[in-house]
Formats: sequence, structure tokens, C-alpha cells
Amino acid sequence: MAENSFEPKITAFVCNWCTYTGADLAGTSRLKQQTNARLIRLPCTGRIDPVFIMKAFQNGADGVLVSGCHPGDCHYNAGNFHARRRWAMFKEMMDFLGIDNKRLHFSWVSASEGKKWVDVIDGVINTVREQGPFTQYKDINKETEIPVK
Amino acid sequence: MKIGVFVCQCGENIGKTVDCVGVAKSCASIPGVAVSMEYKYMCSDPGQNLVKQAIADNGLDAVVVAACSPHMHEKTFRKAANGAGINPFLVEIANIREHVSWIHDDVPSGSLKATDLIRSAVEKVKNNAPLTTIKVPVTKRALVIGGGISGIQAALDIANAGYEVVLVEKEPSIGGHMSQLSETFPTLDCSQCILTPRMVEVYQHPKIKLLTYSEVEAVDGFIGNFKVKIRKKARSVIDEDCNGCGMCIQKCPTKKKAYSEFEEGMAFRPAIYVPFPQAVPNIPVIDRSVCTFYKTGKCKICETVCGRKAIDFMQEDTILEEEIGAIVVATGFKLYKITKPEPGSPYEGYGEYGYGEYKDVIDGLQFERMASASGPTAGEMKRPSDGKEPKKIVFIQCVGSRDESKGFSYCSKICCMYTAKHAMLYKHKVHDGEAYVFYMDIRSGGKMYEEFVRRGIEEDGAKYIRGRVSRLYEENGKIIVKGEDTLAGVPITIDADMVVLATAMVAQKEAPKLAQILGIPYDKHGFMSESHPKLKPVESSSGGIFLAGAANAPKDIPESVSMASAAAAKVMILFSSDILEREPVIAQVDESTCVGCFYCQKVCAYNAVERKEIKDRNGKLIKVVAYVNEGLCQGCGTCNATCPSKSVELIGFKDEQIFAQICALNEI
Amino acid sequence: MAELKEIAKELLTSGTVAYIIGYASEKNDKTVPFIARTVEDAEKLVFTHHSVNNLSVYLKRIKKPESGKVGLVVKGCDLKAVVALIQESQSKREDIYIISPKCNTVVSDNTKPWNKDNIASKCLSCEVRTPSLFDATFGEIETVELPSDEQIELIKKVEAMSTSEKWEFWKNEFEKCVKCYACRQACPLCYCDQCIVDKASPRWIDSSATVQGNFAWNMIRAFHLSGRCIGCEECNRVCPVDIPLSLLNRKMSMFAVSEYDYKAGTSIEEPTLVGTYKLTDNEDFIK
Repeated sequence: MAENSFEPKITAFVCNWCTYTGADLAGTSRLKQQTNARLIRLPCTGRIDPVFIMKAFQNGADGVLVSGCHPGDCHYNAGNFHARRRWAMFKEMMDFLGIDNKRLHFSWVSASEGKKWVDVIDGVINTVREQGPFTQYKDINKETEIPVK
Repeated sequence: MKIGVFVCQCGENIGKTVDCVGVAKSCASIPGVAVSMEYKYMCSDPGQNLVKQAIADNGLDAVVVAACSPHMHEKTFRKAANGAGINPFLVEIANIREHVSWIHDDVPSGSLKATDLIRSAVEKVKNNAPLTTIKVPVTKRALVIGGGISGIQAALDIANAGYEVVLVEKEPSIGGHMSQLSETFPTLDCSQCILTPRMVEVYQHPKIKLLTYSEVEAVDGFIGNFKVKIRKKARSVIDEDCNGCGMCIQKCPTKKKAYSEFEEGMAFRPAIYVPFPQAVPNIPVIDRSVCTFYKTGKCKICETVCGRKAIDFMQEDTILEEEIGAIVVATGFKLYKITKPEPGSPYEGYGEYGYGEYKDVIDGLQFERMASASGPTAGEMKRPSDGKEPKKIVFIQCVGSRDESKGFSYCSKICCMYTAKHAMLYKHKVHDGEAYVFYMDIRSGGKMYEEFVRRGIEEDGAKYIRGRVSRLYEENGKIIVKGEDTLAGVPITIDADMVVLATAMVAQKEAPKLAQILGIPYDKHGFMSESHPKLKPVESSSGGIFLAGAANAPKDIPESVSMASAAAAKVMILFSSDILEREPVIAQVDESTCVGCFYCQKVCAYNAVERKEIKDRNGKLIKVVAYVNEGLCQGCGTCNATCPSKSVELIGFKDEQIFAQICALNEI
Repeated sequence: MAELKEIAKELLTSGTVAYIIGYASEKNDKTVPFIARTVEDAEKLVFTHHSVNNLSVYLKRIKKPESGKVGLVVKGCDLKAVVALIQESQSKREDIYIISPKCNTVVSDNTKPWNKDNIASKCLSCEVRTPSLFDATFGEIETVELPSDEQIELIKKVEAMSTSEKWEFWKNEFEKCVKCYACRQACPLCYCDQCIVDKASPRWIDSSATVQGNFAWNMIRAFHLSGRCIGCEECNRVCPVDIPLSLLNRKMSMFAVSEYDYKAGTSIEEPTLVGTYKLTDNEDFIK
């Protein structure tokens, strides 16, 4: 790894039943991936609150992936349908506020889609790498005082 | 809090691409970690003992195991930790095999990731709370919905195991579609002969409460503890007083006002009727839509002739409430009626096949009745239009099935077999007749099934034509069938006397409504969905609700019976213990901050959120808050994410736990 | 105006309502929220171009009177908040007596007289000057000449910005925030007893007025109102540092319409946008 090359930090919020298991399958199938992603396992995409995404960015994540079961496959019947609306609105708002949609990704990856998982996560890592470090958010962290205007 | 970190090398599985020694060493410096070690096989007995020993030696409060996926060994390590006195829910797994060593080759970056994942687990476990499994009592009484062969089988199995069963059937008699069949493939034994003894057994079984002409109206509660409301529709005949003599039926003057449902519209029945002579229970019902009394206020002949005074014109629907522990859904199927698209149906009819337009075009069930000795023609082949014996008959398979553009994408599974059977039965009855079968493929997987089809072709001389029928029309008393023989590559025209359509098996119209009442998913065709297509084929995704037979998907009789017995076995497993234990991952409401917006209730797929009134000591209402029924909650946490004030939280995945993980993985 | 007073007197005399939340005149044409409990009080009730406040905010955490309903003078626009409060179990229709006037727009700046250039921005796209839900109504609709809708132009302008321009735009705005929470107080739909910003464990949102905390607060405030905001723009009006909060809210409301064909506060019976879903909801953004 070259010294100056930028390696993005990706936080992935995934559901236990589909995407986490799909990522397990990718592992069992020894499908190689880049090492940048860190998974946080939730029971269901329905549990994934947009504040998670906000907090991850706030604390220095360069990119976030949210992933769960395909519509109709939710272990809890409808969690992903509620999540879908929530994400659509949050994503729209993030975009309007100037947080690049290339840093925030969503996918459906089922327990049997190990290969898709690899494609998705590598795709996210590559896209975020192209964007460079998420300095905007990190910069405001430094401004701890109320600016005098 | 003192936390132990245990890094598993999994032989070379992890050890080869993760520097386990280095990882264990760097994890030792995470605040709160009292001991951090690695070992070759943590899941082995010595490995587990190592964990137990470390817990004892260091007085650990919580454990993080960095090893394979939690789906593999979370239970193992929870049990091990519990053995050393740590609450099993104070164990977290960092998945450094499937999510690290097996997918990364680079040791430094892989090891860094492993350390991150362990740190995330450590920070989470710091916020874990000791939990106990939830224990709920089990009502050992089953509800079986649907009295066809699947429901009958399930009810008998459960009852024979000594548990009480409530069997609900919406029609006046149990028996379902199987009671309509003439003979069954591949053995050609008489359907009623093998079914009716089972029906009688149900009726006489001391453990089975049979409710016919009844429907499930509401289901509340949860696994082991359902409360079910059943509507017993007004029969206009008092069950207890009727002795089934049939005098009322004989004397009823409205003989030809209604088509017999059982005879698939090929015969009439009176206003007061039993669906068929072997009906169970043998208690008639008055069809109020055709009964003269209900129309004109006069008649009452049945009442006059009934020696038992069992007729009650004023009878009303009654609602029964039953306490139930487990439910088997066996609501079966119906045939795709193809005359005209039903209002609101997304499916087009098969106008070109002339069903409902030409009297001599019938469907499979109508043929069953025609072939049945107890049927409208007493088993003789007489075509509906003029009662003549058809000398040339065309069977068309896959009408609606395997046809995404006009019907259903799926294969109805039984039609290949029953069409072969029909062709045989026809040839047995009309020796000089010709039977043609238009087919797409022959699907005859099953014991003795392929042999059966071959017998139809080779011994009984059914003529199979691979191809679709494009059109048929009536001409000079014949049905002209135009199709294509795709194997020979020639168009083909047959002047048939009668045509039998193997129409698709479709879900009962009310199936989606029932599924909603039960809170179980169903597919786009209306079939009830199983929890897992391979490993949980008889479970619905709701605890304590099981599926049997064609309610789930098209199935033949042996498959339905197997599934019913499997569902019954699942019920018996549930009933084998007095107390049910489940993971305590459920939502919990902070009543002090809940403002009762009830968005949690809106998003809950399990109706687990209730409204609870908070009153002061004088009984005055202070506020209404959300309350989670822990028996119903399945632990998805959608409520938690939806709640704006975070007043409802999912135990085991609380905000604090996730917050800690996010911070651990993204240190500012 | 006489009509309003007559309605109010009748309601108070008959005991139909325990009191009426309405507007009373102050100096310079200004009006202030006023609670009329007696017939004498009723004389003071007015409804003018200066009746700006969304009075439905007083329904938050209101105690049900011992007898009678709560009378509420509420404009068609603000009425949507009442509908939303009922949808969200915060109020009951039968507990409120809705007196909704036919409205001829209100001022933007309450200290200056009403004229073409002093009309609240929410009035510019108003479709409910004649209310559709009420127990009593009064007034007559007059033709009002409206200036152009600058807010919508600004939304389009921000949408057209590059990502970093958008960020700078909002950073400059949110930097000003002093976390006074006036926006929260004035919003009829911010009714939580414990706001997420006040929750200490975990502290999702830094409660001090740092830029980061300000970003988090304004983001989550707007998100919690997404699909719920009825566009009364009270947050905008009360913000002491003039952050264009309703710009963000309106953007999200427009998204709710374009994406889900949903307008908040339209009908009590209608399922809310949040908490429901359609199988056909768009998922083009999901891989």
C-alpha cells in the first residue's frame, strides 16, 4: 500500500438474516474483498435508524452502506419496506444538505447472494475511494466554538 | 466492567491471514479488557475450558469471542460463558473468519480489520445487559383451519397424540376437494372410499371439536397463547337436534333453484341440503338465498316434516371464542375459473377455450364428478349438452399454469397426473373412444407417477400431442380444437365431442384476508409463505402458526398429507413442554418519555404494540403510551428506529449499543 | 369579525367549549394568541391579516377540559397540523371545536402592514384558504394579488448547486444556530416529551451549539418532520437567527408529494406517510 494512498473507512449497517448471512456466504466461498468495510449487525433493516448513518459520518466514516433483505424476503415481514421509505427520504435530505450520495449506498443482498455482496461492497469502497476523504464533515468537528460573525 | 477477549485461530482458517497473536495483544489495551488471548480452536473443549478458566481467574463480567460467524458458534460460547457464571447475553462475537480471514489475503490490513471488529464488539458488550429468556405458558389446544384432506390429517394426528383440536371448515361438510374426486392417481383407488373413514374418525374423535359452516374471524395473541374468534354461520338447522334423516331435503319444493357446489354446477340441489350423501356432519343447511321461506315468508315445509323440530328459521350467526396454542392453516386451493376475468382480478380469462360458453367444455373437477359413480351421471360418460357419450375427447393441460402472460407463472403440479388419469378413466368407460391430450411437458415426478402416465399412453392408448391449443369453437355439435403438434411441426385440428381443461390450481380467494388475520406472509398469488423454502417448509414466519397442503402451493394428496403430518408434529413439539422459552430480543417502551404517537404501532408487523393507559392514584387518565406485548414481539426493532424520541428500544440492540459500535469503528 | 365574536359567544354561553384559543388585537394591528374563557373575552377575539401564529401548537400536551371542548381558531393551513395531531393520537377530533375562517392571507412581517409585498411565503402556494374541515367557519374569500414564490426559487437554486456549494450554503446557515429550540417550541408537530437532542444516553446529537451539533440537530429535526411537516413555517418565523428552516422542510414535503403522492395533514383517515409503505415504493437508489 503506497504511503499516500487514501483508504476509505466504510461502515456497513446490515441485517442479520440476509446481508450479514450473504457476507458470511461470501466468506465461506472465499470470495476476496477489499478490507475497508466494517459491518454492524442489526436484526433487521427496519432497526437501522438514519441517526446511525449521521453518527458514522460525524465520527469520520468516509462512506456508509446500508443493506438488507430484498422486498418480500424480510424475516420480519415488512421491516425493509418501512426502511425503504425512511432511506429514500433521508437520502434526499442528505443530498439537499450537500452530503454526497456517492458516500451513502443502499443495497438488497440476500443470504444466498455472496457474489452480489462482494460486488456491492467493492463497488462502494471504490466509489468512496474516488471521492477522497470526507473532509467536510471532519472539518466541522474541529470547529468547537460558536463562530463569531 | 472486566472483559475477556478470546481470539480463535480456527487452525489455519483464521491464523493464516490474521496475526492472531498481534491482534490479541493490541486488544489487551482496549479500555475495559482485562484479559486478551488467542488459541488454536476456541470452540473445542479445551478452548471452551480456556474461556471458562479465564472467566474464573480474572473475575470477568463479559466475554468477546473473535472467531467464526455468530451464526456458527454464538450459542456454543454463550453456553460456555454461562457455565462459568456469566449471563449468556454478555457474550458478543466478532466475526473474523467469514468477514476477515477468508476474504482477505493481506495480513496487516486484515489484522487491523479484525482488531476493529473486536473493538466494536467490546464496546457493544460494555452496554449489554444481563437478560433472561422469556418464558410463556403454552395452551395445549390446536386450531386447524380447513377441513380438506390436509386439515383432516393434521387434526387427527394432533388429536391422536392426545391434544385437543378445534377444526374449522367454512363449508357445511368437511372433505374438501378430495371428496369430489372419482379415483386418485397413481393407484386408481376410489377417493371417497379412502377419505370418508377419516372424515367419520374426525367426527367421532373425542378430542376434536368440529365446527363446520364456520370461519375464523379474528386471531389475537401469540405462540402458545392465541385467542381465536370463530363465526359459526347460521345453518337454520339446530345441530344437536338434527338426526340427519334427510326428510327435509326430500320434501323441499325448491328442487332446481340452485346448482350444487359439490357437483361443480352439473346438478341441482334443493334450498335445504347436505353437500353430498357422505357429508360430515350429516346435518343440512338452508341456503337462504334460494329458500322460499326467506323470500316470501311462506313454505316452512321442512319445519313441518322435521320430526325432531330441528329447523330454526330465526337462527343467527354465533361467535365462538377459543383459547389456542398453535394453528395449522390448511385452507387448500380452488380451480382457476376461466370464463371471464373476475372483477378486480389481474388475470385475464381464457376466452379462446370457450369455458362457460360451450357446455361441452368442462374443467378437471367437473370431469371428476362425471367420472364418479356417485356423480350426476352415475359415473357414465355423458356430455353436458345432450347427454350423449363422447367418442372423442380432448384434454388441454396448463390452462392458466406456466403462462405468465395470461395466467400464473407457476406449475400447478397435479394436472399432468390427473389428466393422465382422466384419459385412462375415459378409456376404461368408453372403450372405442379416442382421448387426446395437449401438453407442454409431462411432469410426472413421484413414486409410480411416470409409470402411471406411460400406462395411460401405452396400455390405454391416450394420444399425447405436444403443443398448445390456439382456439376452439363449436360446429355442428362438435368442438373443433385447433392446435399445433410441435414435435411433428404440423397444425392439428380435432373435432371433439367434449373438451376438458386442466385449469390452474389457485389460492383461495379469501386466503390473503386470512393471512392478514393471522399475521403471516403470503406470496403474490395468495399462497401462504413458508418460513424457509428448504429448512422450514411447514412453518409460517409467525411462531406457532404452521402450514399444510395446497394453502402453501399446489400439491397433490400424498404431499398434502405429509405436510399435514409434519405440521402436526411441529404442533406436538410445541405442546410437549408447558413453558416456551425464547430469546429476549424484544422491544421495550420507556413509559416516562413515550408521548403515544403510536408510530411504533403503525410499523409493527406483528400487532405487538398495544395502547396502555397510565392513570394517577385516583384513577384519572394521565396519558396513553405504547406497550409491547413480549409474546408477540419478534424483535425486528423497526419501532425503535421509527420512534422520534427513542422511547422504545430493542433489547439486545439498544441505541447505546449501536452508538458504541459506531464510535468504536469510527474514532474521531 | 362580528361573525367570529357571535360564534364564540354562542359556544361559550352554551358550554359547547370550555374556552377558545384565538387571536386578540395588540397595538399596531398586531395580533397575539389569546384564550377567551368568557363572553367578555369573546369580544376581544379577532381574525386579521396579522393572525399569523399557528395556534394548533397549543394543542400539544393540552389537558382535556372538565367539560366542553377546546375551541380553536385555526386557518386552513394550520388546520393541517390539527389533522396530523389527530392522526398521531395527540388529539381527538371530538375534543376540538374547529373554528376555521376563510383566510385572505397573512403577513410575513407582523410589524408592518399587510400589502402585496408583505405576505407570508406559505400563503403564496396556499390551496386551503377556504377550509374543508371545520365545525364553524366565517369570513369571505377576496381576491388577493400574490407576489412570486421566492422560496420555491431558492429550493431550485440550492438543488442546482454542486455538493460542496450546498454544504457551504447550509454550513453558513447552521453555523448561526444558537440551539434555542424556538423552532421546536413553535412547531405543532414537535411534541415529544423528551426530544432526541435532550437524550443523554446515547447522545446522538451534541447539544452544545457547535457546528457539528448544529448540523446534527437541524438534520434530525428536519428528518423527524419529513413527510409530517404541514408547512406552517412557524419554525422559520420564530428562528431568531433567520435560518431558512422551512426551506428544508418544504423541500422534503415536495419530495413526499413527488415520490409518494402524500400531502401531510390532508385527511384524518389517510394513513400517514411514515409508518406505512407501498409494495411499489421507489427503490431505484437501492442496488
